[in-house]
Amino acid sequence: MKRVLVLVMLGLLVFSGLALAQAKPVQITFWHAFGGARQQWVARRVADFNYTHPGIQVSVQFKGSYRDTLNAAILAAQQGDAPNVVQIFEIGTQLALDSGIFMPIQDLVIGPEFQPDDYISALTDYYKINGKFNSIPWNSSNPVLFYNKDIFRKAGLDPNKPPRTFEEMLADSKQIVESGAAKNAITWPLHSWFFEQWMANMGENLVNNGNGRDARATESLLTGDGAKTILTWWKEMADKGYWTYSGRVEDWDGSDAIFISGQAAMEITSTSDVTQRQNDAAANGFELGTSYLPYPAITVGGRKLTGPEGVIVGGASLWITKDHPTAQLQAAKTFVLWFTNTENSIAWHKATGYFPIHKSAIDVLKVQNWFVLNPAYKAAFDQLLNTKPSRATQGALIGAFPQVRTIIEQAIEKVIAGKATVDAALTEAKALADKAIQEYNQSVE
Amino acid sequence: MHQARFKGKLIPFLLMAPTLAILVLFLYFPVLQTFRLSLFRVAFLGLRKKFIGFANFVDLFQSPAYLHTVLITLLIAAAIVVIGLSLSLAISVLANQKVRGARVYRLLLIWPYALSPAVAGIIWLFMFSPGFGIVNYLLSITLHIAPNWLGDPVLAVILIIVVSIWKNIGYNVVFYLAALQNVNTDILEAAAIDGAGPWRRFRSITFALLSPMTFFLLITNITYAFFGIFGTVDIMTKGGPINGTNVMIYNLYRDGFQYYKTGFAAAQSVILFVGVIILTIIQFRTSGRRVYYGGT
Repeated sequence: MKRVLVLVMLGLLVFSGLALAQAKPVQITFWHAFGGARQQWVARRVADFNYTHPGIQVSVQFKGSYRDTLNAAILAAQQGDAPNVVQIFEIGTQLALDSGIFMPIQDLVIGPEFQPDDYISALTDYYKINGKFNSIPWNSSNPVLFYNKDIFRKAGLDPNKPPRTFEEMLADSKQIVESGAAKNAITWPLHSWFFEQWMANMGENLVNNGNGRDARATESLLTGDGAKTILTWWKEMADKGYWTYSGRVEDWDGSDAIFISGQAAMEITSTSDVTQRQNDAAANGFELGTSYLPYPAITVGGRKLTGPEGVIVGGASLWITKDHPTAQLQAAKTFVLWFTNTENSIAWHKATGYFPIHKSAIDVLKVQNWFVLNPAYKAAFDQLLNTKPSRATQGALIGAFPQVRTIIEQAIEKVIAGKATVDAALTEAKALADKAIQEYNQSVE
Repeated sequence: MHQARFKGKLIPFLLMAPTLAILVLFLYFPVLQTFRLSLFRVAFLGLRKKFIGFANFVDLFQSPAYLHTVLITLLIAAAIVVIGLSLSLAISVLANQKVRGARVYRLLLIWPYALSPAVAGIIWLFMFSPGFGIVNYLLSITLHIAPNWLGDPVLAVILIIVVSIWKNIGYNVVFYLAALQNVNTDILEAAAIDGAGPWRRFRSITFALLSPMTFFLLITNITYAFFGIFGTVDIMTKGGPINGTNVMIYNLYRDGFQYYKTGFAAAQSVILFVGVIILTIIQFRTSGRRVYYGGT
């Protein structure tokens, strides 16, 4: 009897062990670059996922800045311990591709779980490489124009007619500054991102070979009419005291402070700031307006521009690393698709201002009267949905993008400070950017 | 006098082993690794490497931008060391006076050193912000000027020098004060009786007796001026405007960690390393010989 009991007990033990082994979830890791409140948002969503997907256990880690996250992922891959899902900033796309540690997510999807037609193409085009979804955008934003309607009224301008073109911007700025309604007319950070956006808005590529998307880019296109038009206008805006900035490059907070404090009537910055700016306007007691990125109504390369071509998506996307067991790869894909699904991308949008990436999400937001309750978002969405698909608005793929950005920013600084003419600064920038691109290409070939 | 000695050769090494292990692992090995990497073209933090000999160094010395960086570094370092040390000595002598509340002054002087570079950088950034900083606010209501402290290359260099000196003054003052309190007052009194004036007493006695400390501070301040100002530059100017404050250590960081040119950055780190070593040797050979360590 005793022996039977022992046998039964042993049998139960083995059986429960087997059951445990079967129920043991697939463990995957997810690294991202959002600290603060956004980190908590991510943690809550991941907890939600783990609860609803008992077969998968995602552990999430905040890895510092975008660059830190990419560096950490590459170093971990060298040690054979790459995280399964990594958030990578848009200009790191070519670098991530060349690193060879990732795989296109579209290679993992099976059947109806993936609906490529439901994605807003203006957001996903950036991350489509050779026609394939390579990574899934998570946080996406564009530049948008904010303006202080009270200052517009004080200057005698129509608060519902913000400037649309470079020329109107000059005229309205003149009126704002000369009427004394504000010290400066407009601010945006001295950042290459705006230069890149204006190039796209004119339909101009930043680099050759179809903006680096038909083949690896070998040369920058910084000396064309488009680039000259941007810098000439920017210089005029600066010289007349219409445009101002904090004096430091890439100083987003500095420009925010200039606009919020009423020193400038307008600000161009990321759409991911819409929610924040609405709160700022309420806290500082002014009426906020939003509008499109202005464009130059000129002739570029024989084309007369009658309207904006559109903007490039900025932000980051979620990548999946290869060299893992199939179960982990599938789990990683399931997580990424869930994390960016319609429901979650609406919640993400409402929490931060980043765009939801699905067409169905916009329908839901409309049903919820979101744009009526939050009119500041309307311009951002209209600009996004009206963007004309082209190599220019798809955004450039450059391996040496971080360095090219610094080179462009230094050219802008030189022009603004009067240390070089527009032509000289752009010629020098082109030479430096070409060298950076070629050095990068040599290092990966 | 008889000194106690360990017998045998093994025990000293055994006692030093923990320290040596840490030094080898975290100092000597990385240094050697850096020397090796400087001869490669490296992609993706080492995922791909190609031996290119001294091409990184040739590139660096042919690049006008890098030569500008070296010049700016030397200029900023010279200013930080010379002005910083003179000012620290002057302040220390004042703080060494026997006045009411001397302890409080001394404590306050050390404060800047206790701040992290990031915090100090942000404070100065707020003060000197061209648009909404307190400095430009005061300048505009008194002198009606509003200099672009961070957007003008010359002003930005001056600002970085000022902040770096201010940040390190506490450190220098602590050491100078300690040395000043050890200066033998008998000698000073004897000199006074012999008719030496205050300036003469300071120059010939106090300053001479402080020379070991000055020499020590010279070395640490040079190290600080070459390496330690990274945080200040990163927070305040990011090497700008137009590379105006792009010192060697910042340029190295940018190439290595922002542009992923690991081999190129390693070469710069070798140059910086060798440069500082040469400077230190020169000092030991020149001013080091004039240091008076006391004794009879």
